[in-house]
Amino acid sequence: MRRTDGELILLWTLPALGVIWISAFLIFPGFVHPMSPTMSAEEVAAFYRDPKNLPRIRYSMILFNWFGVGMIPLLTLLVLQIRRMAHRTPIFSYCLLGCMAAGPTLFLIADLFWLLAAFRPERDPALIQLFNDLAWVTFTSQVPYLIAQSVILALAIYLDRQSRPVFEPWVAHFNLLIAAALVPAAFVGLAMGGAMAWDGLLSFWVKNVAIGLWVVVMGIVLGRAIHRQRAEEGVAA
Amino acid sequence: MSAAATEAGTLPDAPSGSLLHRIVWHWRHNPKWELWFAWWMMVVFYNLYGVLFFMVTRVQPPPPAWLDASSVVQWFDDRHQGLLVGFAIVFLITGFIVPTNALLAYSMRRMSVSRAFPYSYLVIYSMSAVPGMLLTCVALTVGAMRPDRDPELIHWLYDFAFMAFDGTMGVFLIGSLVWMLAILLDENRVFPKWFAYLNLCNALTEVVVSPAWIFKRGVFAWDGAITWWIDMVVFVIYTTVFITLLRRMIVREDFGTGPLPELRTEEEAAEDARKPSVSMGTAR
Repeated sequence: MRRTDGELILLWTLPALGVIWISAFLIFPGFVHPMSPTMSAEEVAAFYRDPKNLPRIRYSMILFNWFGVGMIPLLTLLVLQIRRMAHRTPIFSYCLLGCMAAGPTLFLIADLFWLLAAFRPERDPALIQLFNDLAWVTFTSQVPYLIAQSVILALAIYLDRQSRPVFEPWVAHFNLLIAAALVPAAFVGLAMGGAMAWDGLLSFWVKNVAIGLWVVVMGIVLGRAIHRQRAEEGVAA
Repeated sequence: MSAAATEAGTLPDAPSGSLLHRIVWHWRHNPKWELWFAWWMMVVFYNLYGVLFFMVTRVQPPPPAWLDASSVVQWFDDRHQGLLVGFAIVFLITGFIVPTNALLAYSMRRMSVSRAFPYSYLVIYSMSAVPGMLLTCVALTVGAMRPDRDPELIHWLYDFAFMAFDGTMGVFLIGSLVWMLAILLDENRVFPKWFAYLNLCNALTEVVVSPAWIFKRGVFAWDGAITWWIDMVVFVIYTTVFITLLRRMIVREDFGTGPLPELRTEEEAAEDARKPSVSMGTAR
């Protein structure tokens, strides 16, 4: 049993996690056609009270509640790869650990607000709208740790000065691109309609597709790095 | 790690060209680049936070805790655009506070203490921004987004925002005590012992702030002379001191595991330069 065996098990939780996340995304009735911030309080309340929607809201958000933090073990694998880089200090791996602690917590808070809105949909529509606003603003605007994670990972890769770096330089370029794609979502408070609004092209589609793409690409390069590490350890042993 | 010390010792002086030129030079040659990166991030972001919270959003110094609902609505109206733009920038940059926590954790890693100290500090402080700052910004953004919302609900968002900001106490309390204990136990002389007691002062401000959960008026309210002003003075002194001490730590860093070499005066440095056999990384 090699140390990396356990890491491979953790890595292979990623496809399962992906299926669960995509299912939860599709089950939630407010994502495929994202809810508009211009909906009135009565319309928002009607959305939660609709007997076709209510179970789907609850089940999808319970799924996200269970598995939203499921990325943390995988991000830990990324930290371990940073540890293998030719750095002089653990600053970058510490930074990534910090991002890991805060990023998923913010997603969990958005999830709580959605579940609270759905908990007593018969409540005053203004309160349902308040929880719905808190959920969408938290979900959309809370990109700070994802942006920092990508930028810091890119820096770590650029500074990995060895003949066979852990990740190739294109992974760093890719991370900077993803960080740039997440920027507009931070400005969600400024727009009730258009591309910047929480249901808009930039704040919803570009941001969420970028996160999905990041998970897939980093999953693959991480897998390749761990396999290479195993091969090298095999030779050493 | 003597190779690192030698490398640091033989490092030629940085060029004195443009800022960009110097940054590129350090990126390529400076063995302490990672540490300086974290330190500069800390300086830049503490200053940016000051500008964003005091000038762009104007939510600090905090407004009174006793405002009624209609005054709170007026308060939101007065700074509508500032809140939305300022907090958007906060959301953009807040992640870059993690190099600060990483550097503080690194300072404990350089000490002769258990790794339990840097790890617990890192997790506590990385998570602290969520309840202590980001929830505040989310609540105020939501409040500013719909000025026509029921004033009672806007009032609730106002309370939520300022109590999350001032009333998140444990993370900073425990975090400061972890740092304090590490400094007191450390035998590598990373920080002077008096700084441990400044950590205790910072921890105590979190005790001082707790009456804000009870009082809506007076010196103990969230905007009060004791709760806010004394705490802010301590915080500013504490932050200035640790930024200075961390800078000194990086300059002294020899990438060894023993006591951190003391800073030398210019005369001593000149003396050493005349005796090339003396390595820069040697502990005195």
